[in-house]
Amino acid sequence: MSAEGATVEAPESAKKSGLSTKNKVLIGIGVYLGIAILMLLIFGSSGKEESFKPQNEFKLEPWVSIHLAGIDLSINKAVFYLLLASTLTIFTMVWISRRMHQKPNRVQTAVEVAYDLTKNTITGGNLEPGMAARWFPFLAALFFWIWFSNMIGFLPLPTNTEHTFSVFGLEIPSFAIYAATANLSIPLVLTLIVWVSYHVEGIRAKGFFKYLGSWLPPGLEDMNPIGKAFIFVIEAISHFARLISLSVRLFANILAGHLLLLFMGGGLAVLLGIAALGALTFPLAFFFFILEVGLIATLQAFIFSTLTAIYLGGATSASH
Amino acid sequence: MELLGYIGAIPLAAKKGEGGSFLVSPGLGLMIWTLVLFLFTMWVLSKVAFPKIQEALDRRAKTIAESLDAAERQRRESDELLEEYRGRLAEAREQADDIMVRARKAAETVEAEATVAGREKREELVAAAKRDIEAETRRSLEQIRTEVADLTVLATEKVTRKSLNAEDQRRLVEEALSEVDFSRLSGSEN
Repeated sequence: MSAEGATVEAPESAKKSGLSTKNKVLIGIGVYLGIAILMLLIFGSSGKEESFKPQNEFKLEPWVSIHLAGIDLSINKAVFYLLLASTLTIFTMVWISRRMHQKPNRVQTAVEVAYDLTKNTITGGNLEPGMAARWFPFLAALFFWIWFSNMIGFLPLPTNTEHTFSVFGLEIPSFAIYAATANLSIPLVLTLIVWVSYHVEGIRAKGFFKYLGSWLPPGLEDMNPIGKAFIFVIEAISHFARLISLSVRLFANILAGHLLLLFMGGGLAVLLGIAALGALTFPLAFFFFILEVGLIATLQAFIFSTLTAIYLGGATSASH
Repeated sequence: MELLGYIGAIPLAAKKGEGGSFLVSPGLGLMIWTLVLFLFTMWVLSKVAFPKIQEALDRRAKTIAESLDAAERQRRESDELLEEYRGRLAEAREQADDIMVRARKAAETVEAEATVAGREKREELVAAAKRDIEAETRRSLEQIRTEVADLTVLATEKVTRKSLNAEDQRRLVEEALSEVDFSRLSGSEN
C-alpha cells in the first residue's frame, strides 16, 4: 500500500509545480524515502527475526517417498517442477507442431522464432553442418526444457507445504514461486551430459590422443615438453572447470533471482524486523520480477545451450 | 583422473563446510529424475515436435520461394506482353496513318477525277447542244429556203401569169436565192 502511495504521489506533486523531469524524479525519490522513514518512525523495529529462514523456500521435502536400491527417488517439489516443465515443454511443442499453419498466429510465431534461434543461432552458428544436424535435437531440447523450467519458476503455484491455508477445511499449500533450475542437481546433470558428449565427439572426430593434443592452443609447436605438459594441465583444469561454470551459472542465476524476489517481496523486512524496509523493497520486487521473467530466464537458457554448442564445436573443429 | 575427483568434490566439500547447506549439495535422486525427464523430453521433441516444425517451415520457405519465382515469372511475362502490345499499338498507329494517307490520296484522286469528268461532261453537253442548235438552224434554213422558193414561184406566177415549167422554176429560184444573204441569219445565231 505504502509503495503505491509513493508512486502515485510523485507525479501529482510534479504536476502541481510543473517542474522539469529531473526535479520530478528527485521529488519522487524524496517522497518514496519520506514514506519509508515515516513508516520506520510509526512502526519502529521489532528486532531481528531468527525463526524465519529464507533458504527454506528451497528446501526439498519428500512428498511421495520412493526408495529404490538405496537411492532416494522421492518425489519432492523439484521433481514436481521438473515433471511440470517436461510436460509443458512436450505439450506446447507437440501441440504447436501438430497445428503448424502457413499463416502463423502469435503463439506459433513465438515458437517459430525460438525454434529458429535454436536452429540457426545456437546450433548453426557454432557447429559444422554435419554436427549441427546430429546435435540440433539435443541443443534445442536443452534450450526449450531449461526455458520452460525457468519460466514456470515465476508462476505462483500451491507448492509451499511448510505453510498452508484452509479452504473449506482443505489444507492448501501456500502459493509460492520456485524453480527446478534453482537446484544444483539439475544443471549439474545437464552439464555432465554436455561434458561427456563433447569429449566423446572430440575423441570420435580426432582419436583419443589427437583430441587430447588438440587441447593445447596453437603456436606451441616449438615449446619444450615440460612447458607443454604444464600448459596441458592448465587446459585440462579448464575443461573440468567447465563442469562447475556451466552448471553453477544457471543454478546461481536462477537461485539468486528467486532469493532477490523473496527478499524484495518482504523477506528482508521480515528477516530484519523493520517493516519500513518493505516500503523500500516492494517496488523493487516488481522491477526484479520483470527483469527475471523478461530477461534472465530466457538469457540463461540461451547461454547454457549456446555454450554447449560452443564446447561441441570446439571439440570437433579442425583447429582448436 | 585425480583431478576429476578433486573437482567433483568441490560441491560436496561446500556442503560439509557450510554445515549442511542443502542449496549447493546435489542429490542423486533428483539427478536421476532430471536425467530421465530431460532425455524423455528430448526424445519426444526430436521424434514428434521438431521434424514437424521443420517440415512446416521448409514447406513455407518453399512456398515463399515458389511464390517469388511465380511473381517474377509473371512480371516478366507481363513485361513481354506489354512490350508486344506497345509494338502492336505502334504498328497499328502506323497502319492507321498509312490508311489515312492513302484515303486522303484516294479522295483527292477521286475529287480530281470527278472534276475532270464533270468538266468533260459539261463540255460534251455544251458540244451536243451546239450540234443540236446547228442542226436545228440548218434544218430551219432549209425550210425557209423551200418556203421562200415556193413563195417565189407563187409570186412569179401571179406576176407573169405564166406558169413556168419545173426546170425554169428551179433555175429561177436558185438564182434568186443565191442573191439572198442568209449568212446574216445564221451569223446572228452563231
